[in-house]
Amino acid sequence: MSSVEISALSKRYGPAVALDGVDLTAKQGELVSLLGPSGCGKTTALRCIAGFIDPDGGDIKADGASILATPSAKRDFGVVFQNYALFPHLTVTENVGYGLLFRKCTRDERARRVCEVLDQVQLGGLEHRLPRELSGGQQQRVALARALVIQPRLLLLDEPLANLDARLRDDVRWLIRDVQQASRTTAFYVTHDQAEAMAISDKIAVMKNGKVAQFASPREIYQRPAERYVASFTGEANFLAAVVERELGTGLFRVQAGGATLDVRGAGPFAPRQRAVLLARPENLAIVHDGTGQLTGRITKSVFLGAVQHCEVTLPDGTCVRLGVRPNGASPGGQVSVRLDAEDAWLMPEVAA
Amino acid sequence: MKRRRLRLALVLPAVVLLGVFLILPYAEMVTMSFRASQPGMMYGQGYTSGHYQTVMTGGHYLEALVRSLSMALVITTICLVVSYPIAWHMSRARDRKALLLYACVASPLMIGVLIRNFGWMVMINVDGPLNRALLSLGVIDRPLRLLFTQGLVVLALVHVFTPFMVLPINNALRNINPAVLEASRSLGAGRLATFWKVILPLSFPGVQPGLILVFVLATAAYVTPALLGGQMVTLMPTLVVQTLVGTFDWPLGATLAVMMATAALVAVILFSLATHRLMERVRA
Repeated sequence: MSSVEISALSKRYGPAVALDGVDLTAKQGELVSLLGPSGCGKTTALRCIAGFIDPDGGDIKADGASILATPSAKRDFGVVFQNYALFPHLTVTENVGYGLLFRKCTRDERARRVCEVLDQVQLGGLEHRLPRELSGGQQQRVALARALVIQPRLLLLDEPLANLDARLRDDVRWLIRDVQQASRTTAFYVTHDQAEAMAISDKIAVMKNGKVAQFASPREIYQRPAERYVASFTGEANFLAAVVERELGTGLFRVQAGGATLDVRGAGPFAPRQRAVLLARPENLAIVHDGTGQLTGRITKSVFLGAVQHCEVTLPDGTCVRLGVRPNGASPGGQVSVRLDAEDAWLMPEVAA
Repeated sequence: MKRRRLRLALVLPAVVLLGVFLILPYAEMVTMSFRASQPGMMYGQGYTSGHYQTVMTGGHYLEALVRSLSMALVITTICLVVSYPIAWHMSRARDRKALLLYACVASPLMIGVLIRNFGWMVMINVDGPLNRALLSLGVIDRPLRLLFTQGLVVLALVHVFTPFMVLPINNALRNINPAVLEASRSLGAGRLATFWKVILPLSFPGVQPGLILVFVLATAAYVTPALLGGQMVTLMPTLVVQTLVGTFDWPLGATLAVMMATAALVAVILFSLATHRLMERVRA
């Protein structure tokens, strides 16, 4: 229920840099994901926001006021932990009601609010169980309810689905999104799972070595990534080495790539003859049999997966691209013509990885 | 079948050990407490329940029992208060610091009981180092007479029993998931509230055995009260030893010992029952 502004946040552990100038914003009611591999600093950032660790530099503002001097007990943020961190000696009701003990709240009101939020996370009937008598999914629901019942200014979720099995993961993810939307609570969500981040977020910050590589909507992150790292972390991606010929119009470039001349969109500016990387997602590539594709190559691998068949095509310059075809649509060995939807390809600057 | 036999074989040493060194001696002690006394002999002919009557009606036996139990209670309480912060620091420490703390905590146990108590006597003596230091600093203007006081006995016993309290509590504290404490803080609980509502209950699996161990040990302590407490106050173990080796009245001594053991056992059982619900909740 508040807006958050993070600027130039930094944190070191001895010689290791955990956060290196992180800037993030979350508007009221938004869910912002911090996405990245382990060690990229996403959890450190979340722990700084929660107040469990103090950053070395930078600032965190909630509704315009810095919260760095406020201890975590006074921040009014609800935190959902990866391993749930429920109080093992308290029942479901006592766990959920814990935060209300420290707020102005009569006994009756507390009981009513706990009951309400338990309904919201579909945990009715389990009020008197201890955490160890619950399944993983139920425990995570309790953790969510416990964070929500205090009507936090901000909801912080640290890999909340990491310990759940695949089927439960979907359920709980929808639940988190639903209750977050219903309560219009601003949320930060840490995850290393790109599909999870795509599905749940208003905005995603892809993190790399303590920095934010790109901060944008899921659509933009996937379709118009700022660099190769972002593209490969957010899904299957093929990269073609490209040389820019010239700019045709704003954001449209003529490039040489994979032995063809292509007109593609990109995140300029690019100078003529500059080397760049062309992103082609597998779904933007197709094998065509009438020879009208811009690229030609030889199928070097082919894997049958039932509904689709995955192929690897080696282009004349040695680059391999992966794409999906209809089952029985291709077999290794032959020369094929590959069509690239230039509309959906994306040109990115070459950044040292 | 083979597995079963192996399991039985593995159980055997424990059963034999308990049988020979616990059950038999206790049975022997209880039997002894019902034998007739005879001066000049270990015990006389026949059996009697007279010793129990003597103990129950002879005011000073019960007085000594109550004194022993209440002193054990005081020692246990002080021990808990002293040990908890030590255990907390120990549970946070890592590597060398943890090792050093373990060594410090265990140090009272590394010295034999006599040496340790003579150490106290030397330190605390009227012209010992403590008094000399305090005199020269001007804190006191005449030497303190601390030796042969109840306070010194309590202090010395707290000192030696601290490891029995610190180690289990330290263990329990280490088993608390640190994220649970962060959860408590993030939900608005201050340090004190987090301590009372989360840390203390979750460390109870260490606190309970610590309390029981120290209480039982303090009830039965003999050497330290005998050496540092002098003849001013009579405690139950002193009475038992006096009766056994002084007046050589084994049946009466056995009766006193049975009374003491029973009293301690009842106290431990009552305490366990009282804390049963909490233990059920926090057991891992």
